[in-house]
Amino acid sequence: MMPRPVSIDSSQPDSRPKPHSRSVTRQQLRDTVWGYGLILPSLLVFLIFFYGPALFLAYIAFFHWSIFASQSTFVGLKNFTTLLHQPIFWQSLLNTAYYVVAVVPATTLLALALALLLREGMGRFGGGFSRALIFLPHVTPVVATSIIWVWIFNPQFGLANVVLHFFHVPPSNWLESVHWALPSVMIYTVWHSVGLYTILFLAGLASIPRSVLEAAATDGARGWRVFKRILWPLLGPITFFVIVLATINTMQTFSQVYTLTGGPHGGAGGPAFSTTTDSLLIYQTAFLYLHFSLASAMSLILFVLILGLTLIQKWFADRFVFYR
Amino acid sequence: MRASKLWPVVRLAVALLFIIPVYWILVLATGYHGAVYHLPPVWVPLFHWAPMVYVLTHTHWMRYVLNSVGITTATIVLVVATSALAGYALAEIPFKGQTAYFFLILGVMMLPAQALLVPQYVVMFHLHLINTYAAMVVPFAASTSGIFLFRQFFKKIPVSFGEIARIEGVSTLTYIRRVAVPLAKPAVATTVLLTFIASWNQFQWPLIMTNSPQIQPIELALSHYMQAYEANWRELASAALIALSPILLVFGFTQRYIVQAVAGGDLNAKD
Repeated sequence: MMPRPVSIDSSQPDSRPKPHSRSVTRQQLRDTVWGYGLILPSLLVFLIFFYGPALFLAYIAFFHWSIFASQSTFVGLKNFTTLLHQPIFWQSLLNTAYYVVAVVPATTLLALALALLLREGMGRFGGGFSRALIFLPHVTPVVATSIIWVWIFNPQFGLANVVLHFFHVPPSNWLESVHWALPSVMIYTVWHSVGLYTILFLAGLASIPRSVLEAAATDGARGWRVFKRILWPLLGPITFFVIVLATINTMQTFSQVYTLTGGPHGGAGGPAFSTTTDSLLIYQTAFLYLHFSLASAMSLILFVLILGLTLIQKWFADRFVFYR
Repeated sequence: MRASKLWPVVRLAVALLFIIPVYWILVLATGYHGAVYHLPPVWVPLFHWAPMVYVLTHTHWMRYVLNSVGITTATIVLVVATSALAGYALAEIPFKGQTAYFFLILGVMMLPAQALLVPQYVVMFHLHLINTYAAMVVPFAASTSGIFLFRQFFKKIPVSFGEIARIEGVSTLTYIRRVAVPLAKPAVATTVLLTFIASWNQFQWPLIMTNSPQIQPIELALSHYMQAYEANWRELASAALIALSPILLVFGFTQRYIVQAVAGGDLNAKD
């Protein structure tokens, strides 16, 4: 790749005596040693803290295993069958599905709308500044901002009900209601994450060649037609990317569920387990009830689900997304 | 004509909606005593800093702030170092296994974090790292996006620079430290910013890896504080504001770069 003195020599092997080809090998050896030496620190971190645990996960899931016991016994699929007989496991899957199916389309559509709104007038007052404001929630710490949302959702004194009252809508109990606890978490999540996807859509919009839009304008295309015929098809790849990313992220939501629906009142998981999502149940099973094997079996299922969804979305994208 | 004058106003109005909750923290934290229970709500911050001072002096809050500062600083330094080294190896040194390492990094990006928590805890347990500062730093000492970022910038450095250095007998490490990294300042800045945000905002990892209040970072302390002091909303909002302000400050000065970094395909920021 890089033209080095030695590689120039090696391009004429016939005119060179034997010992020189050994110096090529020495250079290669040097490169190998330096190459591995330099990647070693990060490689160790990835192997010890990511790949190691990933392999270990598959191991614990099929064993009856305790962190305090010295030995473990192979139990095959028993952890999984135990899970299938627990109603809370099914409820956590349902809650997660509900959460993902609501949040992913909502964030994607809202992000697309915001990106279209912010598209014009870049750098002007209202352009870059508004962009920063919409992105800001995404970098805020989840616990700190969840605290304020708990108060916003307060049934008696919260802003949410003040707004509802203003529009003459009957008030809600929000986080304390079985039906509204999970939607409240959804509202928080949309608020916290939509800025990220808006920025991604904006990057996608910026990459559309000006000439295409100018040609459309010359042909008299306006508003909705421009969006439907030009922007939407050209945004296909970025839309696909946003949906995949949003799905992977929402399937693993933990911090806001823990903070918004935890606390001294009901314990994390909301009223009647209505916000017990998969990652919350994994956390509770492993670190409150210390059933590491059961939690591992759940983790493995989550792992497979996320991988499967990504592959299905990829399959869809290959058929319907127009890649330039 | 009139419609085009209206768009900036609409944009700004929508954008302002998004920061109402952040503004509301300020209103609650600095309002008068009992203002949170006032209906209709008081809409303006009154800048009474007494509850904030109380939280900072009468609780262990300073300790948690310092914990977070220490953990974040150590993580940033390590991430920049490991990313620069690995990025240099991937960009400049042809060695067998380069492609393999590339895919290994991609694999790390695809592993779902939630599914790994249980086995990660077991690994940390056996390394005797539970309840240590190291537990909150070492596993995050390498960053997949950091490595790719440095690799990208190092590839732009002219090959002749490296050759001159080699002829002059400059060692590879010195070359990376004195020439390559200073030439890749944007990569350094982006890595520092994104690592700062991710590290300062950490919650779930310290929740699982620590149980001693002594070493807790601010987000975790905030969660415990919330459960203990939920009755006093003014102090709670003050504590939240303390946890939030470093992020607001840094974002205020560098939002342009952060937004660019994220738009450039850097997606490691997590909830």
